[in-house]
Amino acid sequence: MPTRQRLKELMISELMLDMTADEIGDDTPLFGPAGVGLDSVDALQLVVMIEKHFGFKMADQDQAKRILHSVNTIAEAVDQKATA
Amino acid sequence: MSRSILITGANGALGLAIAEFFLAREDSCRVFLGVRERRDKAEGLAARFPGRAALIALEVTCPDAWKAAVAEIETQGAPLSVLVNNAGFHEDALLANMAQDQWSRVLDANLNAVFHGCQAALPAMMRQRQGRIVNIASLSAISSPAGQTNYSAAKAGVIGLTQSLAKESARMGITVNAVCPGYIEGGLPPEWTQEHLKALKMQLPMRRFARPEEIAAAVFFLASPDASYITGSTLKIDGGLL
Repeated sequence: MPTRQRLKELMISELMLDMTADEIGDDTPLFGPAGVGLDSVDALQLVVMIEKHFGFKMADQDQAKRILHSVNTIAEAVDQKATA
Repeated sequence: MSRSILITGANGALGLAIAEFFLAREDSCRVFLGVRERRDKAEGLAARFPGRAALIALEVTCPDAWKAAVAEIETQGAPLSVLVNNAGFHEDALLANMAQDQWSRVLDANLNAVFHGCQAALPAMMRQRQGRIVNIASLSAISSPAGQTNYSAAKAGVIGLTQSLAKESARMGITVNAVCPGYIEGGLPPEWTQEHLKALKMQLPMRRFARPEEIAAAVFFLASPDASYITGSTLKIDGGLL
């Protein structure tokens, strides 16, 4: 399964989101009312989820903030790590 | 599935009762008895449940000791699933006469220790996407008796921590609850005289103190799958005193 689709499905199941994968745009901001609407608790879970399922560990908070912006930014980081 | 249970203050009457309740009611669980210097009673319990109960050295005010204890539990079997923050003590004095270190010691042991314990236990629970934390607060958190500014503040802090952490961890399948026991048999200051205990019982609606297993039963329930939608709650167990 492509990384973006897998990420969306994992987010829906692990963050208990009441939406479908199609409703999450690749570039939609994950946080804030204009986007998917995730909060700081979700951010912590996302970090754990990405580490668990993709073996990608965030180096620090700044990196996490950049990477967790959207499905695209996460997928890029995860795929980059996989090919590194 | 086998669960690892860690109970702090496991050499005391309540800690022992909680441990024994888990061992008696949940065949597959493994119970770790957090102790410091005093360990004779915990050793006695572990001897009665060979292979299922083990002592673990744990100075609850020390974050590194917590990390080591959680790591040790993981190496011995299932990762930590249930944490019962039971260790604590009170050192009463009127605030006007209370020494700074009397305040600090009680806050360290009763509140800061709960913070350290939760912080150490959470990563393993988050990885499992399940966990149960039960914090033993006290009726003093609600009734705030004179002479217990330090203890009341610490235990009220435990309730606040419980409610806030419950919100942070709810979506991860982790529940965090507190219980507030009243007077417990075996947990009363040894210097209290028989007359004093008698007079105290007369003030209680049930005219008796709680048996430790009556508190343990509530802790066991809050740690069970049946309590999956209960989080951030504080359960008062005082025989109707308040």
